[in-house]
Amino acid sequence: MIELINVSKAYGSDELSVPVLKDVCLSIPKGDFIAIMGPSGSGKSTLLNIIGCLDSLDAGVYQLGRQRVDLLDEDELTQLRLRHMGFVFQMFNLIPRFNALRNVELPMIYAGMQPQQRIQKAVAALSRVGLQDRLNHIPAKLSGGQQQRVAIARALVNDPDIIIADEPTGSLDTKTGHEIMKLFQTLNRHGKTIVMVTHEDNIAAYAQRVAHMRDGVITDIVRH
Amino acid sequence: MLLAHVRDIYFQAVWALRDNLMRTLLSILGIFIGIIAVMAVGTVTQTVHNFVFTELASYGLQTIWIYRQHEAPNPYSTVRTGSGITNLDLEQIQKGCCPAVARVSPEVYYQDWSQLFRFGNRYNNVILEGVDGVFFDISRDEFTIGRNFRDEDIDNRRNVAIIGSEVHKTLIGEHQNPVGKSIRFGEQKFIVVGVLKRKNRDFLASIGAAEDYDVNNKIYIPYTVHQQMLASKDIHQLLIESRSVAETQNAVDQVVELLQRRNNNHFQYKWDTMESWNTKANNILSNISLLGLVAAFVSLLVGGVGIMNIMTTSVVERTREIGIRKAIGATQNDIRLQFILEAVVISTLGGSFGLGVGYILSIVAQHMLQIPLQPPWMIIIAAFLVSIGVGLASGYYPAKRAARLKPVEALRHD
Ligand SMILES: Nc1ncnc2c1ncn2[C@@H]1O[C@H](COP(=O)(O)OP(=O)(O)OP(=O)(O)O)[C@@H](O)[C@H]1O
Ligand SMILES: [Mg+2]
Repeated sequence: MIELINVSKAYGSDELSVPVLKDVCLSIPKGDFIAIMGPSGSGKSTLLNIIGCLDSLDAGVYQLGRQRVDLLDEDELTQLRLRHMGFVFQMFNLIPRFNALRNVELPMIYAGMQPQQRIQKAVAALSRVGLQDRLNHIPAKLSGGQQQRVAIARALVNDPDIIIADEPTGSLDTKTGHEIMKLFQTLNRHGKTIVMVTHEDNIAAYAQRVAHMRDGVITDIVRH
Repeated sequence: MLLAHVRDIYFQAVWALRDNLMRTLLSILGIFIGIIAVMAVGTVTQTVHNFVFTELASYGLQTIWIYRQHEAPNPYSTVRTGSGITNLDLEQIQKGCCPAVARVSPEVYYQDWSQLFRFGNRYNNVILEGVDGVFFDISRDEFTIGRNFRDEDIDNRRNVAIIGSEVHKTLIGEHQNPVGKSIRFGEQKFIVVGVLKRKNRDFLASIGAAEDYDVNNKIYIPYTVHQQMLASKDIHQLLIESRSVAETQNAVDQVVELLQRRNNNHFQYKWDTMESWNTKANNILSNISLLGLVAAFVSLLVGGVGIMNIMTTSVVERTREIGIRKAIGATQNDIRLQFILEAVVISTLGGSFGLGVGYILSIVAQHMLQIPLQPPWMIIIAAFLVSIGVGLASGYYPAKRAARLKPVEALRHD
């Protein structure tokens, strides 16, 4: 259901512009779990941000379901993120002043959900990632793995179709990284499409497919 | 946008303010000081205003003084002596020759203001003036003890006196009833018949509308008696009350015309009117209040600039947070609304605290100064609304900047 056709993206002004993505074509069916690998600076995050509707593309077509994402304006992209995307970042990106519950509640506020329902769902989501007894902890009082679980709970709470994860285990130790990946696999089994960037082969091994990138081009896609 | 949603965003704003308590309090302080300044300036000017106009009104706003203008000595013309006003002139005015005049009273006095009076073995310098009973009506004097002059006091040249409160205090003694007591002036003996209530003349004296002496340190005797002592039929000044404030100029014109005609145009006359002092006072006070209020409102605006400054810093510092919020679904409107609400909450809190503390301060000051203070509520409410407006305006620009941040770029920020 994600269809990228000849997507290009460059950074910088006209003369000094550096191409980061060059005519990338990628098709990700519903329920896929795809890992994107490649050397640093090869354009993985840029591609992921475009897929996650966080960034615009310079040229090409991005079809998400029946929608032409490349033609949407900012507020429409926001609505797409709100309804369809859940984000998990390397640095967790939790709001430091908010406890776990408030962090997980936030996307539902922007979705316009009722307060009671928000709290219920937030508690449920945190229980799902095993943090039912850490509801009132602020991020600084949680371990890296726990913070990433809060981030995953937050990503899941609006019931998105797609999980966008940029090096979700990059800040975690190996053991915790594998736990997070098991969580991802479970989510994938429950039907979530997962697009993940990683540097580590043993993390990429959890995915169904691995795309390799080099200098803004997808060189090959391997199916496990 | 739904009301419930606005409420949710409002709580986000309030939490953000609470989590940056120090910064929030500092920006509240700016508006707080602005409102206090507006309240203080407004209250002081309003109170002074009331004070001054109470004083002016206590002298009667229809009051006019007319007296001869003594021109500079001219060697080519014969200098005429005399006050230019006689008892016959007074009679004509009393008869109603000047329709704009409601009441008139003569004033007779010595060239020197200060005269030595004696009571028992106590001496005191006072100001002596010869008047009639109407004088006290026109000048809105009240008697604390005793009575006004009667016609027979004037007509029969009785040696009676009405004394000011200061004379009561310093010459006779505050604890004695002066009525019926006799006081001496040279060879003359006067029986006190009345004591006047104390009057303020601070403002009038300060703008030069009255000589700088204590009005309460005066002794009044029938003008007929005074004229006898001076061996003249001169009246030095007419105290006049016009029929209305609007008729003041007519009354002046009519009396001056009458005096000039009856004295064969030998004299020039001058006049003062309470109305002109009133206008002058009004001008002075409105200029002062305007200046003060402008200064106070400027401090309110400075408070607003403070909010803008702090909000702008806050947007920069919270760039990453804004990126997170946008990534997980906050629209531009959501972000803009949150930052505007933060600014408005700050200014409203500052304004409310300012109003509350200002109100308490005004009550405390009232108790300490023993003056009824008059906070000008219209101006204060206006200042409160301005402070909220200032919050809106100063929050708008930082909020717009926050709303426009690109999610990827904001997320990359650290
Ligand atoms: N905002 C930007 N302005 C200019 N250049 C940028 C910007 N964002 C990314 N780039 C450049 O685009 C290229 C690709 O960046 P990207 O973040 O996609 O790489 P990546 O594959 O995710 O690398 P890493 O593995 O280090 O995260 C890099 O050369 C980077 O310098
Ligand atoms: Mg990257």
